[in-house]
Formats: sequence, structure tokens, C-alpha cells
Amino acid sequence: MILFVGVAVLLLALDVSLSSVEGFEEVKAYLGSPLAKLVVWALLSALLYHLVAGVRHLVMDTGHGETLEGGKLGSKIVLAVSAVLIVLAGVWIW
Amino acid sequence: MVTNVTNFSRSGLYDWMAQRVSAVVLAAYFLFLIGYLIANPGLDYAQWHALFSAQWMRIFSLLALVALSVHAWVGMWTISTDYLTSMAIGKWATGVRFLFQAVCGIAMFTFFVWGVQILWGI
Repeated sequence: MILFVGVAVLLLALDVSLSSVEGFEEVKAYLGSPLAKLVVWALLSALLYHLVAGVRHLVMDTGHGETLEGGKLGSKIVLAVSAVLIVLAGVWIW
Repeated sequence: MVTNVTNFSRSGLYDWMAQRVSAVVLAAYFLFLIGYLIANPGLDYAQWHALFSAQWMRIFSLLALVALSVHAWVGMWTISTDYLTSMAIGKWATGVRFLFQAVCGIAMFTFFVWGVQILWGI
């Protein structure tokens, strides 16, 4: 749901940033504000977690990690990798 | 069958495949864009505009937009049929679920048209 609504935010940013030099600078300036950074970070976090969990689905489609132990291990790996990526995304944004 | 009639293809297997193919396209597009933004910290308008004006980028973006529409629809449909059921929310579930799906479908179609306008409007 967050991602679905987030698409509208990202499209708006893309639309304005590509409309003109002024629009581009406007988006750039807006992305400098703490609130916008928080929103972008939240969106990126949701996206990264979705991506990592999705890759796990693809791995499981190939028949790996489908046992109970494998499933538990896989979910832990997903959480750990996502956490690292989300922290890195935060470092990149701030 | 009645509860299945609103799904993307009326075939779970086809939806399963569509979800995965669109996922790979979206992953590639996301990683490319993030990589581009990380590699170009001092990005200016001319560079940004040139990227999205390039024919290959338009094709890549349109592909991602189509994949997004498919992927979001399969995802939202799955959420609605998992949680908006008569067991969870009572006797109006079918109506509520249909309404939710209609809103998602219209929103997704709007996103798609908007995206095409952005890509071809520059």
C-alpha cells in the first residue's frame, strides 16, 4: 500500500524535475528538507525490503530454502540484508 | 470461479509468471536509477533531461511502467482477495472488495497515462 501511494509521489517528483530547470531546482531544494528526506527514506526502505523479499521468492521458486529450517533461515537473511541496505540508504540520503 | 473472476488473467499460473517477470524488470529499472543517482551526486537538469530524452531510456521506462501496472495490480488483487473477505469483514465483502479493486485499477491506469505523458512530454 505504501509503495502504491509512493508511486504517485515519485511520479510527481519526476514530472516536476523534468518539466524545466526551475522545476528541477525546486525538486532538488525540496529534497533537501528534513521531512522530504524522511519520506524518501521511508519509501526507499519499503522498496528495498520488498526487493530483497522478492528476490527470496525467486530463490525459493528454484526450490532452494523451502524446508522449515530453510524458510526460517531465509527470513532472517532477508531481514538482515534489508536492515543493512536501509541503513545504507539512510547514510546516502543524509 | 466467482471470486476468481476479477483476477488479471483468470489463471493463477499466468498471474504468478506475470508477477515474476514484471518483478525482474522493475528490479533492473530500480537498480539502474539508484545506481545512476549514486554515481551522479552533482546531477544537473541538462544531464537528467538528456537521460530521459534518450530513446533507450524511454523504452526502458515504458517497459518499467507496464511492469509496474501489472505488478501492482497482481499485488493489490492478492491483498484484496486475502483480506477483504466475508470471513474478515462480513457480508458486504464482495462489494467492498470490488470497490477496492476498482479504485486500484483506476489509480494504476492514471499512473500509467501520467507516466506516458511525462516520458513523451519532455
